[in-house]
Amino acid sequence: MKDNFRQSMKWFHTWVGLVVGWVLFFMFLTGSLGYFYQEITRWMEPERPFIAHEVSTEKLLDTAQIYLNKHAKGVDEWDIMLPNARDQNLRVGWRHLVDSGKQGSRYKITVLDALTGEAVASRATGGGKLLYRMHYRLHYLSTSISYWVVGFCSMLMLLAVITGVVIHKKIFTDFFTFRAKKGLLGWLDIHNVLSVIALPFHFMITYSGLLFFLFTYMVLSTNLQINDEEFDEMLNEIYPGSTHLDSARQPSDMLKVSSLYQQVKNSWHADELSYVEMFAADDINAHARFVRHETDITYNPDDEVTINAITGEVIAVKINKYTGAGIIHNGFFSLHEGHFAGPIARWIYFFTGLIGTAMIASGLILWTTKRKPKQMKKANGPDFGYRLVEQLNIGTIVGLPIAIASYFYANRLLPLDMANRINWEANIMFISWAVLLIYPAFRTAKQAWSEQLLFAALLYFMLPIVNAFTTDKHLLNSLHHQDWNLAGFDLTLLVVSSCFAFAAYKMTSPQLSNKTSAQRNKQVSKRVNNKIVIEKRDHPSVQVTNDSLLPLPQANKEKC
Amino acid sequence: MLVLTSLSFSTMVLFCLAMTKHREQVLESEISILAVRFFRPFAWLLLLFTGYISVDMYGWSIGPALLFGAFTIATLLLILLLTYRAKIVPELAIVLSIIASMSIFIS
Repeated sequence: MKDNFRQSMKWFHTWVGLVVGWVLFFMFLTGSLGYFYQEITRWMEPERPFIAHEVSTEKLLDTAQIYLNKHAKGVDEWDIMLPNARDQNLRVGWRHLVDSGKQGSRYKITVLDALTGEAVASRATGGGKLLYRMHYRLHYLSTSISYWVVGFCSMLMLLAVITGVVIHKKIFTDFFTFRAKKGLLGWLDIHNVLSVIALPFHFMITYSGLLFFLFTYMVLSTNLQINDEEFDEMLNEIYPGSTHLDSARQPSDMLKVSSLYQQVKNSWHADELSYVEMFAADDINAHARFVRHETDITYNPDDEVTINAITGEVIAVKINKYTGAGIIHNGFFSLHEGHFAGPIARWIYFFTGLIGTAMIASGLILWTTKRKPKQMKKANGPDFGYRLVEQLNIGTIVGLPIAIASYFYANRLLPLDMANRINWEANIMFISWAVLLIYPAFRTAKQAWSEQLLFAALLYFMLPIVNAFTTDKHLLNSLHHQDWNLAGFDLTLLVVSSCFAFAAYKMTSPQLSNKTSAQRNKQVSKRVNNKIVIEKRDHPSVQVTNDSLLPLPQANKEKC
Repeated sequence: MLVLTSLSFSTMVLFCLAMTKHREQVLESEISILAVRFFRPFAWLLLLFTGYISVDMYGWSIGPALLFGAFTIATLLLILLLTYRAKIVPELAIVLSIIASMSIFIS
């Protein structure tokens, strides 16, 4: 055991972070992309039409209903999903029977052209959903192993967050402190800043993440303490399902969905409708549930209106009844997934997710940066462990974004009639990641960093161009159609590309020249201040050493 | 959301000005100790006000969630500005507050 509490916490934070850091990086990055999984799917299915402006909700509902009457006759339930800020296409969905003698059915969504009312045949793709699923269902592992691995890593993440707060001595004094310096001090500041500013998010996302598979992780507790009946009761309490009437097998003429919608319009603002669920269509029991975008994290009963589709009367039943436990559980799920978030809040979620990703990356880099001076002095070169960590760092922190780019490339470039196309998209992603994990073994760390960063910049820059050559949903067209969803994707790729290019430039550019360093000194001394003078005296080497790192004893004086 | 982020930014600027080392980064000239003493209480007041606005705009459950998001983004912006463009912090805080208050009154 280390000599004191904070020291042992620091030791714990360092090693816990290192052991699961790469998995966490993968989870955070793919999870952050998950906030845009619908948008990503739309980009990955370029056969879908552009946004259709100025088509009224009633017209969209009619178009969808005509299609459903033709193709989904006799199904128990069908849904109409209206174009929204996230997915600007009209979609319908119902459970399709699984063919070739298998039992059961599978829910499938069909995209409709809002103008022609015809179904759009899209290419086979995993879309954003596959990418988003990876963050809890590790792609090649079985479901239960994935959940356990993810749970183990999340638990350690939660511990790392808590110990991180404990070992941060000056959390308030250094709240705004970020010294843009190369080496240990700079990385430590980056790690601290990224951790502290988004601390509520880090805690919430990790804690709520653990709640998702509560009954997997706490299986002993539930199995031993309660019987099956009590377990079912508890599940009903936590996940209150909505009940609905089944078909009575008595055909009846029902009203048009668009005319039922008039009822809903009375109580809601215009254009709030998100989707419609129709139960027992064309039956005497037919009823429709109109659902708008969430207006409450926990649950707001006013977000849905159920209407009898035969008589057109509002059915005044509050189907879901949430208990205290249910509200808390549902609230954490909703916070984790950000269902309630509008476009700006969704971007903030995405950015905060990226802050979490960057925090993990900076922590991993900090581990190597701290050990670099000592390791470089060794006669036989750095230890195997150090080199391994560095290799994994480069291969993951830059390698994974490149792998994700190759997933998008695979979507555009793989033959459309390829067998197992969806699997191959993901395979290509993981093959590229594997190559990039191995590549740094053959280069020096600095070469590997800058080469992979440049490669990432190039790949992300080329992606919109490849998009332009392979589809008609490219940037010029999407801007022309004012389809900000598709244009936003391509523009984001360009922004990501320039971020990588900037990082590569910073990596390869000579360190702060003496001139700029001298200028900075001058600026500081202009504002004569006791504290700054003391700081300068304390760390004279910070001003002059650039590439070289702070000697360890001095670094230790800095807070961690 | 813009309103929340602007208010969060101003709050954080006030907190930051209450600290000597950051005040010297941001302000050209010395200001009176009396004014400095008011920064922190004002910051807390503005924080409370921002919290109130968030609840008023988005309700009890979504409001606080967005408030944390707004504070994260605003603080990141402030920290980057402090490092690279410290001098424009006060101007930006004032401009953002004006935009925020205008959008409150207009809507």
